[in-house]
Amino acid sequence: MNGLLIQKGGVQSSIQDAGRVGFSAIGLTQSGAMDEYAFGYANLLLGNPFNTSVIEVALGGLSLIVKGRLSLSLCGADMKCTINEKNVPMWNTYNLKEGDILTLGFATQGSFAYIGVKGGFKTPLQYGSYSTSIKEGLGGIEGRKLGKGDFLACDNVLPSARKSVQRESIPKYGKEITLRLVLGYQSELFSQEQQHTFFTAPYTYKGEGDRMGYRLCGEKVVSKVSGILSEPICFGAVQIPSHGEPIVLLKERQTIGGYPKIGSVLCVDCFKLSQLKPGGTVKFEVITLEEAQAKARAFYSFFKF
Amino acid sequence: MKLDFCIASYNSLMIYFGEKIDPLIAKEVQKAYLALKDANIKGFLEIIPSYASVMITYDILEYSYEEVCKTARLLIENAKEIDVKHQKIVTIPTYYGLEVGLDLEILAEEKKLSVEEIIALHVKESYFVYAIGFAPGFAYLGEIDAALCTARLSSPRKAVPKGSVAIADRQTAVYPALSPGGWKILGRTPTAMFDSAYEGLSLLHVGDLVRFEAITKEVFLKLGGVL
Repeated sequence: MNGLLIQKGGVQSSIQDAGRVGFSAIGLTQSGAMDEYAFGYANLLLGNPFNTSVIEVALGGLSLIVKGRLSLSLCGADMKCTINEKNVPMWNTYNLKEGDILTLGFATQGSFAYIGVKGGFKTPLQYGSYSTSIKEGLGGIEGRKLGKGDFLACDNVLPSARKSVQRESIPKYGKEITLRLVLGYQSELFSQEQQHTFFTAPYTYKGEGDRMGYRLCGEKVVSKVSGILSEPICFGAVQIPSHGEPIVLLKERQTIGGYPKIGSVLCVDCFKLSQLKPGGTVKFEVITLEEAQAKARAFYSFFKF
Repeated sequence: MKLDFCIASYNSLMIYFGEKIDPLIAKEVQKAYLALKDANIKGFLEIIPSYASVMITYDILEYSYEEVCKTARLLIENAKEIDVKHQKIVTIPTYYGLEVGLDLEILAEEKKLSVEEIIALHVKESYFVYAIGFAPGFAYLGEIDAALCTARLSSPRKAVPKGSVAIADRQTAVYPALSPGGWKILGRTPTAMFDSAYEGLSLLHVGDLVRFEAITKEVFLKLGGVL
């Protein structure tokens, strides 16, 4: 068998790809990599298509042993990785052989790291995706997070030239981020005054978040209504329940919901939000649909070669 | 009928057919949803119907917002009427025993009705599937008799058993899997709501009609129900 044998699963490590598409109408969540930038590079460095399954490591603590021979990439939050007890940098590929041990510590900046392998992992495809949704018990290994003894099979490949991401393309996961937001059809449910508060007040991420969404604390924003008729929810939607604090809905969001939404955060900024550590602050800024689409097109054209 | 197109995000748009829970609006949603879905347009990644709206998520590498609006409007305006003869009617056998109908007694007290009367009110109606969401196969059914209208539990349960038949406001639903939930539970069905063996994976789809049928504990167990 060729692949990776998990020795320690860490806080929450799971198999993810770009997500489950086309099943929202029956209530299946999208799921997929929380940060498609680091995920995209994990695959790009290995010459994989964009939508190839990787291990997503949340916070850290994973360790594994190599069976056979493989090429592997490490991207995302710096989790002080070691290969056979030697420190190795993120945003690189490595050629590994039987018995090599990879360990990830814990990130001090950023929250998610990605481990790609040439060709992806051979876990079952469920509803068109390899992504794990723990809440729904789908994807990855038995729909759960990875644990000791799990074996992730992948192709046996010859060592290849090592690749790395250029220094200027490596993100710094800072403590302050700006989220560009496309104003939604429901922004009119928030008065000019409330919108002004929303776009000027800083919000803090206190760690109340998971793969479903991140709740932000700060000055309260009150909608003219407490709820709306339940309707579909898109990626990045910012809903503001009656408690007045915005919740940015991310990859594992529910498919429909009934809280008023001021707009939606641009995808590439959602990826930055995913990496934000508790204590980090967020500011919102308006972006037009045209600008937002141009940014998103540039992002996906780069990774979907 | 209202037909409004609105921006939802950089790659999603909402189409509104109305603003309230109404069987006529729901029919328009269903008609539009089927027309959009059956057109099989590659760049339309997700088409999600709900009570009075449909959301389309599209591939921005293939489509602009204006193009999606134009294509969708054309499809919706030329949508075929739904043949009522083809409307699916689904019966959900339900055991309304107190050991599974966890909120029957408090509801009886709240509504000043007997448990039997509550069950009778729940089984007498046919319900329309307005939306699927919250969890895979979770169908929002409406409307229940006004006499049963009730608020959600003030503190949601951490674990609602799979198959629980529950109500909240004027809606009823079946929990497809063990999950947290705040709806008041009347009983339990042995029927799976979500199964990879089903065509379309979900037992129910938007536009179907649903009836609940009271069964005994013996039948419930025989059908594979778990207490």
